[in-house]
Amino acid sequence: MSSPSDARRAQFEGEALPHLDAVYRVALRLAGDRSEAEDLAQETMLKAFRAWEQYRPGTNAKAWLLTILRHTFINRYRRAKHRRETVDVHEIEPFTVFREVQDVDPEGSFFARIVDDEVLRAIDALPPDFRETLVLSDVEGLSYAEIADVVGVPVGTVKSRLFRARQLLQKWLYAYAVEMGYVRRGGP
Amino acid sequence: MTTPDRPAGCREAVDHLYEYLDRELDPSVERAVREHLAECAHCYALHRFEDAYHRFLEARAQARSAPPELRRRILDRLLSGRDPEVP
Repeated sequence: MSSPSDARRAQFEGEALPHLDAVYRVALRLAGDRSEAEDLAQETMLKAFRAWEQYRPGTNAKAWLLTILRHTFINRYRRAKHRRETVDVHEIEPFTVFREVQDVDPEGSFFARIVDDEVLRAIDALPPDFRETLVLSDVEGLSYAEIADVVGVPVGTVKSRLFRARQLLQKWLYAYAVEMGYVRRGGP
Repeated sequence: MTTPDRPAGCREAVDHLYEYLDRELDPSVERAVREHLAECAHCYALHRFEDAYHRFLEARAQARSAPPELRRRILDRLLSGRDPEVP
């Protein structure tokens, strides 16, 4: 016995539900709390199911779901929308870490010693706009154009946020690695 | 701002570093950067380092999946049709 609603559900389960991990991971980074992230992820998936007719087959279902997640998050935490970046992005000097380690660990093998939790903690400490862009790119593998769509900013903004997010994170993780003795402080 | 003591193309290789690693460059620019990396030891080392960092970041940050009970809860909701707006 199969009805149109069974077919619809089967389609949703086949195409959208496999991205639940991605939705949950991004929700976790946006909300910063497991139970909030679960609520957000669930609301997102149920909303997506209701709006399933709006999904265009053949397009990136993950990006579509993450767009819904983002709207859901913003609606819930409207306050966050008005929070602006607090880091002065121009203070981030590019590629200083490489300059510091090029004589002692040019291949960055110290990174391998840094555990998941430390990396996630550092990601969570990024300014929200940076964090969002970095997560969509480095965690979820979206292209610059897809991120621009999800976030609603020009591709150039995606590039500069991503650049700065990665650099800032790298700086923090390097400082952590030095502190833990994973790498000797080099540099001039 | 110029960097006269470096061979031509360093600027481009550094400016496009992440776009290169993300495979987001136009093929012609990508080729130019690749060619530069083949002949400039400094840029090559920088790219190797950033590539290692990039791969590390992806591997570490992806290490989370949704809790099984969340998946089950969503499936239950879909199956029960308790969702008010399901046609």
